[in-house]
Amino acid sequence: MKPDAADWPEKSRDLALLLARTGLGDRAAFARLYERTSAHLFAVVLRIQRDRALAEDLLQEIYVSVWKAASGFDAARSQPLTWLTSIARNRAIDSLRRAQAQPQLSSTTRDDDDDDGRPDAVEAAPDDGPGPLELLGRASDARRLGQCMEHLSAAQRQSVALAFFDGLSHAEVAERLHEPLGTVKSWVRRALMTLKGCLERSVLRDSAGQN
Amino acid sequence: MDYSRKALADALAADYAAGTLRGGARRRFEKLLGAHPALQGAVSEWQARLMPLTGAVVPEPPPARVWQAVERRLWPAAAAQPWWRRLGPWRAASGFATAAALAFALLLSNPAPVPAPIVVVLQSTGAEGQMVSSFVASVGGDGRSLVTQPVQPVALAADRVLELWSVPPQGAPRSLGLIKANGTTVLVREKLPATLLSGGTAALAVSIEPPGGSPTGVPTGPVVYAGKLTL
Repeated sequence: MKPDAADWPEKSRDLALLLARTGLGDRAAFARLYERTSAHLFAVVLRIQRDRALAEDLLQEIYVSVWKAASGFDAARSQPLTWLTSIARNRAIDSLRRAQAQPQLSSTTRDDDDDDGRPDAVEAAPDDGPGPLELLGRASDARRLGQCMEHLSAAQRQSVALAFFDGLSHAEVAERLHEPLGTVKSWVRRALMTLKGCLERSVLRDSAGQN
Repeated sequence: MDYSRKALADALAADYAAGTLRGGARRRFEKLLGAHPALQGAVSEWQARLMPLTGAVVPEPPPARVWQAVERRLWPAAAAQPWWRRLGPWRAASGFATAAALAFALLLSNPAPVPAPIVVVLQSTGAEGQMVSSFVASVGGDGRSLVTQPVQPVALAADRVLELWSVPPQGAPRSLGLIKANGTTVLVREKLPATLLSGGTAALAVSIEPPGGSPTGVPTGPVVYAGKLTL
């Protein structure tokens, strides 16, 4: 499947109209918005909250929030898909927090039985889907960041991919990779700052290419 | 600018958007966000950077029961229509109509009989708590003129304007132009859709926009007033 991070802004343009109409109380537009975006948001939520029943409840809450917040969406400030994905991720991450506070929900504990820290532990993914590191690679390719991200070590890329795509905390990444917490924290930070630098250069490159 | 604080804010915003800020720290950060526009800006920038990376995730269609549950929660039982469709024609027949009809009378340059004006009362949507009043819009019976007037002057931030929208039954809202928050606005015929009274407009709505109006051609700020056009 072709990575579609590159056409994010284009998709967002279409969705801006649907979101504006949703903000006006148009249920048909809201239904189309759901049709167009729910598979993406569900996939994003499922990577973080792997309990499908909980993930479905979350998705429901997310779209109820979207309906209520749509009239406050500011198209001048953010792209619709970015706005929607942020709402979805926040809900999913908050659900992990609640699950941790309720240890009796054993269904939400992670599949952490791997204890040898081999690279395939990092690539372990539910439903034989791509692992977080592969996703980061695809996303980097789609946004032409591959070369830039190569300056990061494999462990640094793994850290940020596990944290971002699968919603692992610093401590969980440290446990998964058998590395000290402080090391993992600095890896994630370094990876995020590298990403920021890459994106800023890529924007400059794009605007130079247009002139 | 204190660069050490700026760097810290950026690092926290990155951690928040990436999801690695957790527990009490995440909750405290969310509380701070509401009061600090600079922090909000940093978070928005990080979200804009990171969220497109999720484009690499393989979409997973949710089961149909999720949408059904959304519908049940948002529209239990009778409330089967969007709120602006529920605005009854009886509201248009209320006392506000008199003021609007008077305003419309000023417009009439042709003494020949013309179809009666259509009056739309735009109720506050409650999107902005302080905007409680309502607007009256009067559309000339021939669809070639439109007058708006707030029932009471509307308090608006100095750097914000009100924009009037025609909401068609299908498709995107269309701007009819900027309107005054504290007086009568007369919109000229060139600005009005030719099909205003022949099915082209289902409702009128007013949104808050930056000076000069929406930069995108669709409402960007909250929709604060809306009313159904009943022929």
